[in-house]
Amino acid sequence: MKADTVSERSLLAATGLTRAYRGGKGVFDVTLQLNPGEVLGLMGPNGSGKTTLLRLLATAATPTGGQISWFGNSNPRDPSVRRRLGIMLDQPAHFEQMTGYQNAWFFAHQFGLGDELTRERLDELFRWSGLSDARDQRVSEYSLGMKRKLNLVEALVHRPSVLLLDEPSLALDYRAELDLIERLQLLSLTGTAVALATNDVHLAERICDRVVFLHQGRVIREGQVPELLTEVAGSQEVELQLNSPIGLERIRALPEVEAANVEADTVHIVLARGTNPAQVLAVLNGTADLVSNMRVRRPNLGDLFLKLTGEALPVAHP
Amino acid sequence: MMLAGTIWQRELVEFAQRRRALVIKLGFPLLVALPLVISGAPTIYAAMALTMLITIVGALGSGAVLTRERQSGLTLRYRTLPVTPGRLLIERLSTSALIDFFQLTPVLLVVAVRHPSAFGWWPALLLSVAAVLLIGNLLGAVASTLSDSPGEVMLYVIIPLLPLLYLSGVFTPLEPPILLVVSRLLPFSYLYEALLGALGGQPNLLPWETVLGGFGFLVGAIGLTGRFGRRVLESD
Repeated sequence: MKADTVSERSLLAATGLTRAYRGGKGVFDVTLQLNPGEVLGLMGPNGSGKTTLLRLLATAATPTGGQISWFGNSNPRDPSVRRRLGIMLDQPAHFEQMTGYQNAWFFAHQFGLGDELTRERLDELFRWSGLSDARDQRVSEYSLGMKRKLNLVEALVHRPSVLLLDEPSLALDYRAELDLIERLQLLSLTGTAVALATNDVHLAERICDRVVFLHQGRVIREGQVPELLTEVAGSQEVELQLNSPIGLERIRALPEVEAANVEADTVHIVLARGTNPAQVLAVLNGTADLVSNMRVRRPNLGDLFLKLTGEALPVAHP
Repeated sequence: MMLAGTIWQRELVEFAQRRRALVIKLGFPLLVALPLVISGAPTIYAAMALTMLITIVGALGSGAVLTRERQSGLTLRYRTLPVTPGRLLIERLSTSALIDFFQLTPVLLVVAVRHPSAFGWWPALLLSVAAVLLIGNLLGAVASTLSDSPGEVMLYVIIPLLPLLYLSGVFTPLEPPILLVVSRLLPFSYLYEALLGALGGQPNLLPWETVLGGFGFLVGAIGLTGRFGRRVLESD
């Protein structure tokens, strides 16, 4: 057992964390910490290492380099560490032949909760998640959204000090996402630290205090959300929805364009401060009929990521 | 609704809730064993077939289940529970072996009813069945780390089992002394001897020797299961 060397205040601290997989994927030399009450967003495109990093922090995977300290303890198999973590992994894995309530009951007891306390907390969490009516249904009959809600219930039931959530808003409906945001904000106020892997820039901007951008397994930028947003403040993003592909070279060559990328049928263009979007549209002269829709909006964290890497974050809610 | 708060309770609850699987699990061994025991087939053949049946019942169940769990992400979730991997695997595999034992109970009852005078062999038989079931489950669990396909895992289980059964003297009596020594180092030989005795045949060992062998392998299997916890649950 080693003492926390990064910060006495940190609930979780990773130093030089590396997990390399065959084919060059993984995470490399990641250093981060998570303080009480803090909400940390791990953002990056698919394959950037978000899920691997979250699994390492959740003790579900073993690093090939570096070290992690949980509550000052660097032994991932110590039950006292795991009892204080609430985990929602990317796969909503359950015992499919058992009911939602049976699953939640089982997992709650693994974290040391007694019958009475489990019943009380599960009643509240099933009501909160909207799963009350389906609690006695087999999980095999649940939709993906219901399974992910059940995962959230199971991650929250033992009131962990640190919540580690992989794409928590994925497959949730509008109401459920709002409930999740409110819950996480409340938990953060009571000192629970949250690390969430997400591509949902709106979720990240709304609830994260700090964001870590991951690209090809490495941290490329980290900072407080307002501070990061100032880097793209004043610029604009133009989104062009296309009927047919167009070349981006001419657009990228414009000095007013900081980054341009295409994702599915949409071109994202980040414009430098003070640029008039019409200057860019002029370049499309002759191909303008290929644009079916155009939108100019204020920049967000996704635009900063695009500016830093030239790669767009995938749309969280298509 | 049955609620399970522990790993072994959960295994039992899930088993009890799957009624169709329950009927198949109880019926299948009986279908194989009933003609052998009732018809008065030569005891060496009956003991051989029952040894293979018991070994395969132990090995196949956990191998397929753990492979499916690895695919579905449940193994990852197990890794994050505040339970040591050794304890977790012991709880899981011993419950699975207990369920397998339950599955084989009708077969053992048929043997007991057909050969009541061989009751002196029953302690040895019960211990060696338990030992082989736990070892079979462990073999299946280790095999589940080699592949993501339940079918392929069954192959990985069967490939080492067949020569081990041969070396246990299950298929043919072993003459060379070195092979006899090897057979006594394998749990299947004690099960085979106990079955021979319980079926009214002529075993090569005495009941107390078989009891000792069965007990030793049962204790060894529990220890080995604990040691393999990390290997099975934490391999990627």
